[in-house]
Amino acid sequence: MDGPLKKILVYIDGTEQSITAAQYAICLSKATGAELTALYVVNVRALNDLVKARIFLETEQAEYQRDLHADAERYLNHVKNLARSKGVVIASESRSGTPYMEIKNVIIEREIDLLIIGELSHIRSRRDEFFNEAERAMRNAPCSVLIVKNEDRVWDMFEQQI
Amino acid sequence: MALLDLIAEDIIKVPLVATAKSEVIKELIQVLKDAGKIGDAAKVYEAVMNREDMGSTGLEKGIAVPHAKTDQVKTLTIAIGVAPSGVEFNAIDGALSKIFFLILAPPDQSGPHIEALADIARITRSEAFCRLLNASKSAKEVVDIFCEE
Repeated sequence: MDGPLKKILVYIDGTEQSITAAQYAICLSKATGAELTALYVVNVRALNDLVKARIFLETEQAEYQRDLHADAERYLNHVKNLARSKGVVIASESRSGTPYMEIKNVIIEREIDLLIIGELSHIRSRRDEFFNEAERAMRNAPCSVLIVKNEDRVWDMFEQQI
Repeated sequence: MALLDLIAEDIIKVPLVATAKSEVIKELIQVLKDAGKIGDAAKVYEAVMNREDMGSTGLEKGIAVPHAKTDQVKTLTIAIGVAPSGVEFNAIDGALSKIFFLILAPPDQSGPHIEALADIARITRSEAFCRLLNASKSAKEVVDIFCEE
């Protein structure tokens, strides 16, 4: 592990774009020998906002929180299986909080030197720019950020990886 | 998934014809049925009304956000309706509801469901935005308002 990359973090949010990012991260980890960690953040801030706005009842909050933790486990297991299929060791971490803040915390705590995220949604309004969590993570990350694009090409690259 | 990615003219109805809560929900479900976004409309209605029975989703300032998890949608789905005259929706402030966001999500997609609802909670805090929506005359105008926000 003599290259410039020592520790890679890939952010998983359950979207197809984030799974593509994971495939790219696995290939990059294999090529560079960098340690790879997958992170999923259960967005409890959004849940709390919904209770405050009275859109959610407290019983719904508890139900959705359970769902989100189950989602986290499911997606992280999927990414672990992808890594295992390519002989790559991957650590996984599930946290609760505001996604972009937790991403930043993990980068600092684990001394990550590259954050990999999936392709961002098209910005169609000022609001998107302010509240898109991946966008905020990109802007706030205290390390380099790689945004993975072109799902088909990444898929081919992943499939060809022995 | 950004809320705007879900918004298109074919899932918006302005003005709504219905004048009662259950009818508004049925009308919005029909909009989604016509747009080919849902399976069995009766099952969707049942899911939404089951949630309403737990407590009205009529919020303050004329906003209502009926929502439910249902296996009758494949992905997060939204319908928007505007009823300028207002409809009695048992809102928490007692006022008539005028702007309706119907949100449906498959049971295994809670993450996007929550993010869409949180997005709506945020944008509807803006009184100017709600005023513009309430004054809109067409689905296209509603789409434009969201894009300009």
